[in-house]
Amino acid sequence: MVGYISNIYVGVYTVLVGMVITFKQMFKPRVTHQYPYQYEFERKDNYREIPIGNRGQLHNRVEDCIVCNKCAQICPVDCIYIDSRKPSGGRGAKLWESMNVVHLKDRKQIIGIVEGDTKKIEPDTEITINQTVPTGQTRKVSSNDVDRIVERKKVTFYMDRFDIDMALCMYCGLCTEVCPTECLTMVDTLQGIEYSEFDRANLNYSFVKPELYK
Amino acid sequence: MRQFFGIFGNLSEVTVGSSKPLAGLLLEILPPLPAFLEEYEQLLAMITACGIFVGVVPLIPLVLVLAERKVSAFIQDRTGPMRVGPWGILQTLADGVKLLFKEDLIPPYGDRVLFRLAPYIIVCFSLAAFVAIPFGAIDLGDERYVFIVSNLNIGIFYILAVSSVIVIGIIMAGWASNSKWSLLGSLRSAAQMVSYEIPVGLSILSVIMVVQTLNMQGIVDQQDGGLHSWLIFRTPFSFIAFFVFFISAIAEVNRTPFDLPEAESELVAGFHTEYSGMRFALFFIAEYANMFAVCAIAVTLFLGGWQGVLPGIDILGGLPGFVFKTLFLVFVMMWIRWTLPRLRVDQLMNLCWKYLIPVSFFNILGVGIWMLIFGADTMDMKSLGPSLVVIVIAVFILLKQVFKGVSGTKRETTPVPSS
Repeated sequence: MVGYISNIYVGVYTVLVGMVITFKQMFKPRVTHQYPYQYEFERKDNYREIPIGNRGQLHNRVEDCIVCNKCAQICPVDCIYIDSRKPSGGRGAKLWESMNVVHLKDRKQIIGIVEGDTKKIEPDTEITINQTVPTGQTRKVSSNDVDRIVERKKVTFYMDRFDIDMALCMYCGLCTEVCPTECLTMVDTLQGIEYSEFDRANLNYSFVKPELYK
Repeated sequence: MRQFFGIFGNLSEVTVGSSKPLAGLLLEILPPLPAFLEEYEQLLAMITACGIFVGVVPLIPLVLVLAERKVSAFIQDRTGPMRVGPWGILQTLADGVKLLFKEDLIPPYGDRVLFRLAPYIIVCFSLAAFVAIPFGAIDLGDERYVFIVSNLNIGIFYILAVSSVIVIGIIMAGWASNSKWSLLGSLRSAAQMVSYEIPVGLSILSVIMVVQTLNMQGIVDQQDGGLHSWLIFRTPFSFIAFFVFFISAIAEVNRTPFDLPEAESELVAGFHTEYSGMRFALFFIAEYANMFAVCAIAVTLFLGGWQGVLPGIDILGGLPGFVFKTLFLVFVMMWIRWTLPRLRVDQLMNLCWKYLIPVSFFNILGVGIWMLIFGADTMDMKSLGPSLVVIVIAVFILLKQVFKGVSGTKRETTPVPSS
């Protein structure tokens, strides 16, 4: 009889213990992130970094592109469309002889002709850049802000069209491997992953910048 | 003909404990009918009163399903439905519309007639329980009008009888589906509901002994005068009876931890495995309407019905207070559901036959002795003091153990340094 009553007692109080625990749980913060509407999770501990070697959206830095057509040739699904033409002036004509791309530490680029020595960057000096894109401006940058200065290859083709249809792309990454100037890359940030669209036509990305060739 | 409709006239005029049902209130407040309808006005008032309940009760699941999902989500640190409407409040509506447009499949080799009939029987009889529940009362002139469709003088007995019929619908559904999952689920459900009728009935009996009436409004009338006059505090045994009733009620409506008829891991979905579309939705409506009805009965019998916590404060005839108390009990049901795991079949029957039924008999005996000591006819405030003392001591001992248990679990979860 004592066992019977203590059985009831233990049954009741263990159920109540469980209920107190679940009740407390009700007021703890939610762990769910409303993903497309809520980006705060990037800074939380449980955010997973995008891994190195991730294959995301393709992006072409057209400033470096020499329109060699290799990417379009190697593409297994033919999703890269390139139209190019030679500049007037006959054989050997060039759009420009040499040009620099100044990569700043905050991931911005300035395209232009750098005055002076571009191989060595000494700290605490001023670098003068005659900008070519857009043309005519002169910018002065502190060398502390500069990450590196890259010399442009000679550009011998006008780029009329450089379209990549990401709806067709199979993310094999072959085009990025063959690219001689390393200008065609896969975006390794969050923007390289989430670019879904309601209209398939919006997945056709055009990278042409006509103002480059003025 | 006139004599026949006269029956309805009597029904709407029935005065038990000087109160009239909802049909009487409608006759009072609505404009008079045109002359050719005057003959039937009692009948029309009854139909309208029923229509209000039939229209409102199916909306209860709409709220409760969402509440269930939100409560489960909060207990599990999730957010629950968030997309349809602000905070997902329209989710159930969207689900309902989806179910309306779904294909209505009937399994081959099943019993087509019974298969179609079963959901309607379940819904009808779970709605029928609402007929005798008083939702509130309002004083107009000299009369008191109760928000109740029919103020039956055998109210609680009628509810018990009607809610037992649901078992037939469930067995029908299980048999007609021609599926082993459905049949096993329905038989389990029948065994469970029939077993748990007994502790429900016995714990109601211990209340009936105190109030000396089966009329639901009569039971509420006796709890007039604030929190201390609620039946749960009248005797220490009715305090126990409330918990026995509540546990059995959870089993009656087939909810976790007693949801063996719908055990997903064993029976797919139990008796409604083969149902789809709106027929499935009807089962859902019946389940949640049942939940609400059972909690409403618990409130009426033990927690003062529509009577307020303080005497004399009955906002809108006590209706909001009644709904709040009922929804709180529904919340407790959900809370239990997401706390406790499912019982085994033998454990389920153990609990009923070895614990709940003996405890209910003990309650009846105890209430009898209590009435012998403190006076049988009124059970007024004389018995309240000793009763409260016993209850408070028992609850205090229990809570001490509970908080010891809660803090004990905290100690266990701290990591032990490995040597």
